[in-house]
Amino acid sequence: MDLRYGLISADSHAAFAPGTYTTRMSSSKWGDLIPRVVEMKEDGIVYDRWSIYGKVSDGDVCNCPALMGEPFPTFPKRWEEVPATAHDPHERLKALDQDGIDAEVLFPNPPGGTFFEYRDRDFELDVVRAYNDALSDWAHASDRYLPLAIIPYLSEPETIAREIERAASAGHRGINCLGEMPAPLPHLTDPYWYPVWDVCQALDLPVHIHGSAGVRAGASVRKWSGYTPRQAHSAMTATSAVTPAQVVPHLIFSGMTQRFPRLKIVFAEAGIGGLNYVLAACDHEWESRRLWTEGLTTRPSETVRRQVYVNFWFEAEGIKLRHEIGIDNIMWESDFPHVASYYPRSWQEVNRVLEGVPAEDRRKLLYENAIRLYRIDATLPDKAISGDALPCS
Amino acid sequence: MQLKYGFISVDDHVQEPPDLWTDRLSRSRWGARLPHLERASDGAERWVVDGKVLLGGAAGKAGAFMPDRNCEPTRWDEVPAAAYLPAERLKVMDAAGVDYSVLYPTVAGLAGEAFGRIEDSELELACVQAYNDWLIEYWAAASERFIPQCIVPLWPVEEAVKEIRRAVALGHRGVVFPSLPMHLRNVPHISGPEYDPLWAVCEELDVPVCLHGGASPELQYPPTSGLNPRLAQALDAVTRPVSNVFVLSLYSFSRVLLRHARLRVVLAESALSWGMLYLEWADHQFEHDGLAREGYDLKPSEMFYRNCFFTSWFDQVAPFLSYVGAEHILWSSKLPLATSTWPRTRETLESCFRGVAPEAREKVLWRNAAGLYRL
Repeated sequence: MDLRYGLISADSHAAFAPGTYTTRMSSSKWGDLIPRVVEMKEDGIVYDRWSIYGKVSDGDVCNCPALMGEPFPTFPKRWEEVPATAHDPHERLKALDQDGIDAEVLFPNPPGGTFFEYRDRDFELDVVRAYNDALSDWAHASDRYLPLAIIPYLSEPETIAREIERAASAGHRGINCLGEMPAPLPHLTDPYWYPVWDVCQALDLPVHIHGSAGVRAGASVRKWSGYTPRQAHSAMTATSAVTPAQVVPHLIFSGMTQRFPRLKIVFAEAGIGGLNYVLAACDHEWESRRLWTEGLTTRPSETVRRQVYVNFWFEAEGIKLRHEIGIDNIMWESDFPHVASYYPRSWQEVNRVLEGVPAEDRRKLLYENAIRLYRIDATLPDKAISGDALPCS
Repeated sequence: MQLKYGFISVDDHVQEPPDLWTDRLSRSRWGARLPHLERASDGAERWVVDGKVLLGGAAGKAGAFMPDRNCEPTRWDEVPAAAYLPAERLKVMDAAGVDYSVLYPTVAGLAGEAFGRIEDSELELACVQAYNDWLIEYWAAASERFIPQCIVPLWPVEEAVKEIRRAVALGHRGVVFPSLPMHLRNVPHISGPEYDPLWAVCEELDVPVCLHGGASPELQYPPTSGLNPRLAQALDAVTRPVSNVFVLSLYSFSRVLLRHARLRVVLAESALSWGMLYLEWADHQFEHDGLAREGYDLKPSEMFYRNCFFTSWFDQVAPFLSYVGAEHILWSSKLPLATSTWPRTRETLESCFRGVAPEAREKVLWRNAAGLYRL
């Protein structure tokens, strides 16, 4: 891949067209349970929804407000309204060029990246395979797409590991995983999951935890009826700024990161601040409690710098702490085409957030760290590119 | 006020003695429902109130004073004297370089939450009042270097207001409040106007409301079962402070802070290093969701600046001075919890304040606290 702009998004979302699953799953085996788009009518209003396992989902048929124009944010009611840029990998390349982005790491869009809710192990495995196949098509369309595989939680860990191997050989660059495993499955750090981490480490596939990612700590706050929907959204979303601070300490103190010292864990859309806290708090407890005597031989901050990555997009204040957090552990993300995306003015925002940041740091944050983590075969041009310091015209 | 060391520690804990409640309250009326130490057949002792075991089955919580800070006392005779004797605590404070110590409970809950789980509000009130009386008579009377803070009954709110008035008249200087009372028992959601009399009396009496980490353990990601308990305790110590983010978000977006301009809120045991990132994120979300059009006069960060304080004991201070501001940071020694900086309180403090100008250092170490507690 020729690096033309010097900007890689470590968190974007690939939308799937209505036929994605029906063309990839056996209709004789699953019939109407296959994820598909259905037309709904309510009070004379017609709208589309994804139906999965025969259950109509609450969310919009596609999450792509960055492409829907004014008033912002608008979500499509009918599939016809969804711009091809959201779901067609070839069309989307034009948007990447327009926004000045070289490559993007791909997370899910409706109907989502988890299918364990239906408690049907075979169904989940088949949907997951179809998802991973569909997304690997994006990697075949262009090496500017870095797809992440999803996993069948209900399957035996060995089966999950085989699916990850299969996905990796089809072009996936990492896996997308919940921060807290769905009950009654064992805890994220339980040895039960070691076969999964084992294959991820062996194949150099970073494990990604996105947003609040089902970590129940925040969700446990008793709901209040006095909020408007937007207030409730703000109150909840603002706290995902510290999701990594609830999860990373478990990876360290359980001994998981020590057992898998080359396993990389990436927190997407969860801010950079959680990591700052993790470094300070875990080192404090490790030192004062002498936890090396409990078998944790590596200082937590060394573990974090070796294995944990976080993303930023708007945090002009936060990025001033980049050296406390770890300049090699932070990547830029666009969240395209979700509500947080600044498309098609990503560069304007990048330059605002990184004002005064020296070129060496900019390069790491905007593309070098991602190239290293995802082992991207990138060719840098001879001339200076936007990511090196020059504001994009 | 006299300062020898230049440090007011705003978050330390007293260990309540076994006879506190049984001596002060009617044993004939309450019997074994009163907080008391119960001995198991293996000799281990644990605190029990109204049939519920407290402190995770330990006899006390004083890790920093124990021979091994990963092991809490399993019997009362293992509890170090400096945890429960004011005269012994003063010696530790001198060794740690602490002038004044703001007091939080232990058996009554690190965040004052334990009695809120009692369904019988009469028993709850009796336990609360006994603690509040004892703290004045036993600790505040022992030395003016101890700054007492009362605990409160959750409900009805009129009883909470009455108890705060009574306690402040006795000499209490702050109010320890379990931040999300509706998680403890079936009482109204804290976001609603039902609690306005509680906030109003704190404004009127000019006492800070202190929200300590750990009031609602479900705000923390639980450890895997079977994890070495020493490591599980370390995990708890790390996930507890940052669970305050949910409290701060709720108090801001539900307008509790907005409705009470003069309310001062101490986020006790919050630590510092997640705070500015949260504030920046909250403002961003506030703007993104268009909340200025929904009747908020202040952004979340502005509510924080007007009403709140972060409290730390191990963070580097310098990186946060420009955004959070020295005016909104307090310091603590966290005696005698395992997470405390003791016995290296002075050394840790010096390394945390590296690169901090004397004026900012004074604010964080004592000026802010002296103003807050009117010393």
